[in-house]
Amino acid sequence: MLAEFPFGEGGQIVTRYTLGNGLTLLLLVDRKAPVLSYHTWYRVGSKHEKPGKTGLAHLFEHLMFNETKHVPRGQLDRLIESAGGETNAATWVDWTHYQSELPASELPLIARLEADRMQNLVLRKPQVESEKEVVANERRFRVDDDIEGQVSELLYSTAFKRHPYRWPTIGWMDDIQAFTPEDCAHFYRTYYAPNNATLVVVGDVDEEEVLQLVQRHYGKIPAARLPRFTPGTEPPQRSERSLELRRPTPAAKLALAYRGPSFRDRDFPALALASEVLFGGRSSRVFARMVREEELATDLHGSLAPFADAGLYEIWVSLRPGQKLPAALRMLDQEFARLCKHGVTEAELLKVKNRMELGFLQGMETAAGKAEQLGFFEIVYGDASALFERLKALRAITPSDVKRVANKYFDARRRTRIAVLPQNGAAA
Amino acid sequence: MRTLVDQPSARRATDTQQPVVLVESEHSLPLVHVGLVLRTGSVHDPRGAEGLARMTARMLRMGTRGLTAQQVEEKIDSLGAQLSVGCAPSYVQLSGVVVEHNLEAFFQLLSELVVAPAFRARDLARAKRETVAELVGVVDDDRSLAARHFRSFALGKHPYARAVAGTTRSVRTLTRRAVLAHYEKHFVSSNVIVSMAGAVHAERAQELVARYLTLPRGRAPKQDAPETSLAKGRRLILVDKPERTQTQLIVGTLGTHALDPDHTALQVANVVFGGLFTARLTHEIRSVRGLSYGASSSLGHDRRRELWTMWTFPAAKDAFKCLQLQLQLYEDWVQNGVLPGELKRAKSFLVKSHAFEIDTAQKRLDQRVEAELFGLPHDYFDGFVSRVKRVTKEDANAALKNRLSLRDLVIGVVATASELEPQLKQLPNLRELRVVPFDRV
Repeated sequence: MLAEFPFGEGGQIVTRYTLGNGLTLLLLVDRKAPVLSYHTWYRVGSKHEKPGKTGLAHLFEHLMFNETKHVPRGQLDRLIESAGGETNAATWVDWTHYQSELPASELPLIARLEADRMQNLVLRKPQVESEKEVVANERRFRVDDDIEGQVSELLYSTAFKRHPYRWPTIGWMDDIQAFTPEDCAHFYRTYYAPNNATLVVVGDVDEEEVLQLVQRHYGKIPAARLPRFTPGTEPPQRSERSLELRRPTPAAKLALAYRGPSFRDRDFPALALASEVLFGGRSSRVFARMVREEELATDLHGSLAPFADAGLYEIWVSLRPGQKLPAALRMLDQEFARLCKHGVTEAELLKVKNRMELGFLQGMETAAGKAEQLGFFEIVYGDASALFERLKALRAITPSDVKRVANKYFDARRRTRIAVLPQNGAAA
Repeated sequence: MRTLVDQPSARRATDTQQPVVLVESEHSLPLVHVGLVLRTGSVHDPRGAEGLARMTARMLRMGTRGLTAQQVEEKIDSLGAQLSVGCAPSYVQLSGVVVEHNLEAFFQLLSELVVAPAFRARDLARAKRETVAELVGVVDDDRSLAARHFRSFALGKHPYARAVAGTTRSVRTLTRRAVLAHYEKHFVSSNVIVSMAGAVHAERAQELVARYLTLPRGRAPKQDAPETSLAKGRRLILVDKPERTQTQLIVGTLGTHALDPDHTALQVANVVFGGLFTARLTHEIRSVRGLSYGASSSLGHDRRRELWTMWTFPAAKDAFKCLQLQLQLYEDWVQNGVLPGELKRAKSFLVKSHAFEIDTAQKRLDQRVEAELFGLPHDYFDGFVSRVKRVTKEDANAALKNRLSLRDLVIGVVATASELEPQLKQLPNLRELRVVPFDRV
């Protein structure tokens, strides 16, 4: 199967192929530099886990760098590094993503290694135990000793009652420490299959060679019977949920989360623009007021979770030492209310569109950036070509669109709020 | 213009009073990266006025004679641009990116920030309050906290030891007169490097600089930081922070300068030790024992000899074991050197991965800016691959023995002191163990 779509406005073409076993390949020949980005996206993330087994998708991502039937332990990294490449991976709620950046001449090597670990991974107890320790340390680093990490985890576990987005991608510590090689083997057999993956190849490569290599290395891997993903229906939220923590910090922090749309929802681009108006850059409404004019905060940001299912719109504010949380909350509420009531001006909207377009272009500067954007849209949106439709959609948004989504989503009754207070209580 | 470089050829003019202009053209995307780098940084901060260079830089975007701070920010965002202003020991950098069709307006604005800053007293007071609040906020981030204390403790009275942002006390004492004096002394045309990468031609860049960047002519003070040195012996600073489940560990000693004949050999040796995922440190600490999520080492560089450091962050319960292992690995590496297979792999990585050091116009330009800024030959980075290819096992091992000290070693730790201090006292040959509270910045 083959489909083609133009990649931006530079005359490049992305070609989509699908093998008989269901593996999708997105190929973009880009001769700007003699390099290659080879990304593999699996449609499995933490939302596919079960309670008691949280963090398995992420632990598994780590285990994929261990041994296979053909490649001894440590050899994958050694081969890639000796070839001048780097390899890494990431896991989030909806997906797991393996990326390798190499000199373009190393295409045969990486195609062989990636296809091999899709089907031949070996899971032994010592490696699983050692990797559990690494992940436990990662959790301490990202969550247990990091206030923002703790709050983010709490925000999701409080906002969601049924959907698997309620547990963290890194998993609960008790779950991480209890995994067995059998858990990992079952997960591998279930989700690591060609019909659950998309390869994205971007770089200075020959199209025929890519197709031959992909067919040779992946063509015989059997498809798997994938389980149907059925998240529980989230009960409607009718009142604000609020929690308070005390931590060893010199200044109070505030996190808010409104219910947000799915990344696939047509409201997503307009709400992303609304967020930019409020929090995007130093000229944004909330930054100008809370950081510069009122000197209430040192740092703040708003972000709309780019999830396949409806997620959260999160706001984070670090107050200045001595400043009080009620004043910060009052000011934020005023800014949300102002946006809902009066909307945005054309000039304001143009400004944030320019900012978002710049961000989009910056994401396209390297082969790795292009591969990441293509893969992300393919997995989360369901279609890589929507990457450019998204840019068009952003350009077409009007002030009334922004006002409409602001009124739809900025509802304090459907909000979750976490307050962090210094342990000495000075800033409460 | 004094120097104009538009790949692949270089043209030089003779007027040394003008800014250096470096350009890398690449038209695949309608974007231009623009940088203004000034050869001034925290090394020029007077004693007691730490943070002055950074504060002067920060004040640039807080308003010009014609624009308020908010108007500056509105203009940047409206142009589809981004701007960051940074300060390091040896330089101040205004670094931006803009969509191609707004390049002229953006460069005009950047020039206005540098040429005509207002330095209003009320804005300075505001910037000082903001900076103090940010400094206090550093204590939330254990890695930043570790780096700040480690550097200061390691380098003692050398200007590189200064916290670039200053301290809460020094920032409060900064005056408008001091900021103005610093600006007038350092912001002269011969002290500026202008860089543009992306959808721009050299002639266009030259034209924009000539039209808008009208700084006074003159010579800025030279950077006269002395050579760096470490105090004798093995010394440890422990930043005491409550409730830590994880410990930040930094171990370091002096490294090399980029122009030292054995610098490349030490770079290659460092890749063997902690520069790759399969390097010794990462392998032993993370892959074999799972002691830390991250484990790496690096060789810093500046106008003077900088520090070589290794970083890990083990669980609090494993911190002492991890530190002991790190020291053992370090000693083995320095004393016994690298193995032929390790050397071959490290060299292969550095040679082949060089493609990623030059795959965008901005990266190529950054190398040229760095060479200009640190006084390196203009083709310094072009020769990197051939220098790496020439490194032998004997070169690498001699660099390790001659450059990295087994005796003069500094250790920085962020942990809960009551849990770790008794163990740390057992470290052999420890000349000093200093404990400081986490919230003193």
